[in-house]
Amino acid sequence: MHLVTLPLVVPLCTALLLLFWGRPSRGRRAMATASAVGQLVVALGLGIRTYDEGPWVLPVGNWAAPFGIVLVADLLSAVMIVLGSWTALMAIVYGSAELSVRVEHPLRLPLMQFLVAGINLSFLTGDLFNLFVAFEVMLIASYALLTLEADDWDIKQGFPYVAVNLAGSTLFLCGAGLAYRLFGTLNFADMAQRVAGMADDPRVVSLALLFLAVFGLKAGLFPLYYWLPNSYPILPAPVAALYAGMLTKVGVYVLLRIFGTVLPHELSGVHALLAWLAGATMLLGVVGALSRNFVRGILSYHILSQVGFMMLAIGFFTEFAFAASIFYIIHHIVVKSSLFLIGGTAALLNRTDNLDRMGNLWRHAPGLGVAFLFQALSLAGLPPLSGFWGKFAIAMEGLRLGEYVLVGISLVASILTLLSMLKIWNGAFWNAAEDREVCLWDWRWVRMNRVNLAMVAVSLGIGLGAEGVFQVATRAAQQVRDRDGYAAAVFAVRAKGVDVR
Amino acid sequence: MIAMPLETALLIGLLFACGTYLVLQTSFVRMLFGFLILSNAANLLLLAMSGSPEDRVPPIAGAGSGPMVDPLPQALILTAIVIGFGVTAYLVILLYRLFLDQKTTNAAELYAEQDTTERT
Amino acid sequence: MTDVRSYIFDRLVRGVFYLLNLVAFYLLWRGHNLPGGGFIAGLASAISLILRSLALGVEAMPRILRMDPMRLAAGGLGLATGTGLGAMVAGRPFLEHFHLHVHGLPWFGEVHLGTPFLFDVGVYLIVVGVVSKMLFVFMQSTRGLRALVEEEERRYSSPLEQPLEESARAANREDDRHAP
Repeated sequence: MHLVTLPLVVPLCTALLLLFWGRPSRGRRAMATASAVGQLVVALGLGIRTYDEGPWVLPVGNWAAPFGIVLVADLLSAVMIVLGSWTALMAIVYGSAELSVRVEHPLRLPLMQFLVAGINLSFLTGDLFNLFVAFEVMLIASYALLTLEADDWDIKQGFPYVAVNLAGSTLFLCGAGLAYRLFGTLNFADMAQRVAGMADDPRVVSLALLFLAVFGLKAGLFPLYYWLPNSYPILPAPVAALYAGMLTKVGVYVLLRIFGTVLPHELSGVHALLAWLAGATMLLGVVGALSRNFVRGILSYHILSQVGFMMLAIGFFTEFAFAASIFYIIHHIVVKSSLFLIGGTAALLNRTDNLDRMGNLWRHAPGLGVAFLFQALSLAGLPPLSGFWGKFAIAMEGLRLGEYVLVGISLVASILTLLSMLKIWNGAFWNAAEDREVCLWDWRWVRMNRVNLAMVAVSLGIGLGAEGVFQVATRAAQQVRDRDGYAAAVFAVRAKGVDVR
Repeated sequence: MIAMPLETALLIGLLFACGTYLVLQTSFVRMLFGFLILSNAANLLLLAMSGSPEDRVPPIAGAGSGPMVDPLPQALILTAIVIGFGVTAYLVILLYRLFLDQKTTNAAELYAEQDTTERT
Repeated sequence: MTDVRSYIFDRLVRGVFYLLNLVAFYLLWRGHNLPGGGFIAGLASAISLILRSLALGVEAMPRILRMDPMRLAAGGLGLATGTGLGAMVAGRPFLEHFHLHVHGLPWFGEVHLGTPFLFDVGVYLIVVGVVSKMLFVFMQSTRGLRALVEEEERRYSSPLEQPLEESARAANREDDRHAP
């Protein structure tokens, strides 16, 4: 039972300890790393238990649902927490390889832990209002991290992120209020029960559209993604990896949860809208990536394009499509955060990440080149790498449903992804111009590249073990879409009576 | 379900209109006030969700008998106010720093020559 | 703030300071079942501190609030989390609270103690810490962020103020110098 609370409590306590420790030191880093390893172990344990037993429910403060607050961990939450812990661990290890203790900002590690606590709470929460609180914990930590080590140019780029997310939070609050008015509850399980038979109610449809706007904004959906591509490049590489891997995926997770578990499954109009917006997102995202000329900028636009794929699968709204979407999320988090880390290493070696001034990396640092090649091809979707299976499943489902245009868009987006990855490859790795200095004497890159290779190993594991991963994704999709099972699990806690008072 | 009083609904609409108008201005101070008004409008919307308070007792132990005002939206508003408080403080300092760095309080001026490819 | 201090304002604020903190304690104490609680009490205490900083100048605040406000807030968060963890250690759900009722005490009559009070104290400390930190920073920032005291400068602005390419090199030079 406590396993459900630990992903929230451990990062919180770690953040507090780090705040009290104050000055950066090797011991402090070791503690943060140990805590991240512990979180990963906890998350894996949670994943194994939920795979076998279905959703786990913890009534916080022993107040039963629907009046109390519940934390619910089903397989999807557990998978997301595993990925988040893994990304955070890699970001911490990479950060300690990149920066010497003397130049590390004392608040970076505590804020990263607060961010992880917020992310984990949004995966675990079983009611809409705590989701709001979790989003705010996450967003405030992310605002602070965004501007923590920023200079004047960075602050200017980061301001739209803050402004747009503030507006999004306000809308979220309105959505929570309207949902409370409509259903008389904010608990997901209770809402799922009360909404049954209300699919034709225009109020439910407008609420679904409001949620689509709010979480689409967080995830970077088509008309609402303006804040993302300019703000992510200002982050230091390890923090950017954590942001790129997790933050937009929280939005995708919530859409899976809201449309799969809470709202009725008959809202086909909203789902179709979601699918078309996703198509626009993936195309415009990848076109934006092609227009950029520096590594982090290209990668930031790619996040949007990839979010489009996940959303497209949610829009198809079959169980297989949900499984494909979850598989794609698993693949994307590993590959995308890894690419940001690789980009950081490349920028360290070339002392810039402007493609006009990069080069020679393949000749001097083939280890980095191999890492990039694997991840880039995986992102573009070449078999047998992990990206291929996700795209293959989504495209197959699209063809089965007869959505030929959307599948066509997704294939075009994949080819353009490959093109923009080739742009980085040609500019930074293959380019052999003599004047491009590669600072191999900067020994930090060796340890940073070990992190990159660890990420590549995981990504290869997902690609080669796609069968097993897809099985997990299918199970997670079944659990997400099982509205009655979810509600039964939540209310069973009350019936069973954890209470002894 | 108790209906939301009409004047509350009008006030919420007015606040949202003012907030949106101010957020879309270019001056930093107006944007800041716009966000403040927007968050207050959202809080008021939440408060209105507990219905009309007429003939109802406050949700406090020993405040009398009879139907109570729904306390949940009030708890939600308190949380939202606390969060809004922190975010506002952050926003003030952020805008202040933007002003100090860029020597302008006008967003249109700030983002006039948007060079997104790379820092100069 | 101002160079010329008003003696009357200073004395008055000193009186109000104790009164406000008494009110804060009262609000904290009754907060379990009646309007009040850690947040409001924390605001009252923070206001008392702000009043004193108006009278004495923000530079004098470390003498009155002897802790770093951020540490106070972190300690409060730790206390609040700790009350939740206590229940977990006892094998109960996170944040479950326990009460103790004592009857027939002289003066107080019935006393109602419980871990929610500790949780509220944690909230109180967080609010005092965070609010005073924010407002002290605001007060100091009237002279520009660059004019913040040394410690603030280190904490709030980046050590890497140069462009990316320069700073990486500088960090590296520093590493080489310190290499064993």
